[in-house]
Amino acid sequence: MITLFSTLLVILIVAGGFVSIFSKKLLSSVISMGLVSLGVSGLFFFLQAPDVAITEAAIGAGLSTAIFIIAMKKIQKGGTSDDE
Amino acid sequence: MMSDTPEIVKKVFAIFVVGVLIIGFFMVFTQMPKGNEVNVNNTVSRFYVMKDVDQATQMLDKGTYFNKDMVPLRNDVPYTPITFGKSENLEDGAANVVTSIVVDYRGFDTLGEVTVLFLAASGVMLVLHGEKRKVPKKKIAPSEIMYVGTRIAFSVIFLFGIYVFIHGHLTPGGGFPGGAIIASGILGLFLGRQGYSPNKAGLTVFESLSGMAYAIIGIIGLVAEKSFLANFLPTGTIGNLFSAGFIALIYIAIGMKVGSELSAVTNAMIVDTEED
Repeated sequence: MITLFSTLLVILIVAGGFVSIFSKKLLSSVISMGLVSLGVSGLFFFLQAPDVAITEAAIGAGLSTAIFIIAMKKIQKGGTSDDE
Repeated sequence: MMSDTPEIVKKVFAIFVVGVLIIGFFMVFTQMPKGNEVNVNNTVSRFYVMKDVDQATQMLDKGTYFNKDMVPLRNDVPYTPITFGKSENLEDGAANVVTSIVVDYRGFDTLGEVTVLFLAASGVMLVLHGEKRKVPKKKIAPSEIMYVGTRIAFSVIFLFGIYVFIHGHLTPGGGFPGGAIIASGILGLFLGRQGYSPNKAGLTVFESLSGMAYAIIGIIGLVAEKSFLANFLPTGTIGNLFSAGFIALIYIAIGMKVGSELSAVTNAMIVDTEED
């Protein structure tokens, strides 16, 4: 069961990486990067590294995704003058 | 996905992601061992606590130090097994061995790591606060559910973050993840209420004080044990909350520092975005 789930997680990581590279929308790229972090933290947990898994889930999947989205909004607002 | 991607591919991908998350959620109930059935003596940290990784299994069987050809390495030192919750006055005393390496044996390294994070946060705030402020635009306020829900969730998340860094020497986690969890809770508060702003001066003072506390603990070690960041407190019984000497103190300082730092970074980014 754990082997099957790890395989699913690896497929999820690879698919998320492809989406984040080839996506035309920045928002879906950022969210799939968060998805990659989530899968990696699950893999860390199954590889007996709960410390790294907690850090990856809190920073990789939580904070950095949020900060990327905030920065993206900021750039889009500053970049287009006909926003208002 | 790409704009020319057919709709069916997107749907298959979404169904796959949701399916993996659901399977993972239900595996918690079926695959994880229950709390009272876990034998702590057989976990990984049991082998690493002995500080002798290669012969750890042989030591478990024979009760003495052997090399690969089963010749006793040391006859002068009797092998004493380390038992969770019973052994006292060990060299380090932390049940979580990652913590004992990160904070105790390589404490100076961690001080440098904290400094790196401090410099990064200073850079972010220096760049973002140089911008010209404008009057906030009128926006759609978050709903009542979001407002109440984030406030309730914040108290639980904040408590969990504090738990993670206070128990850093016993359970997985520590100062950095605990601080990041607290900062994510504060990010939720930003999402829930328009125009929310934490006490910026309080965050700065808090961060500076906890950073200074780390250095002061190191200097106390220099005075008491003649080495910077040396453990100057008794290590106690392995597995208790009050054990492992100064590791808990340092992780509390790191947790408060990282939490207030990351909250200040989030605050700087969000406030500037809103006032653009």
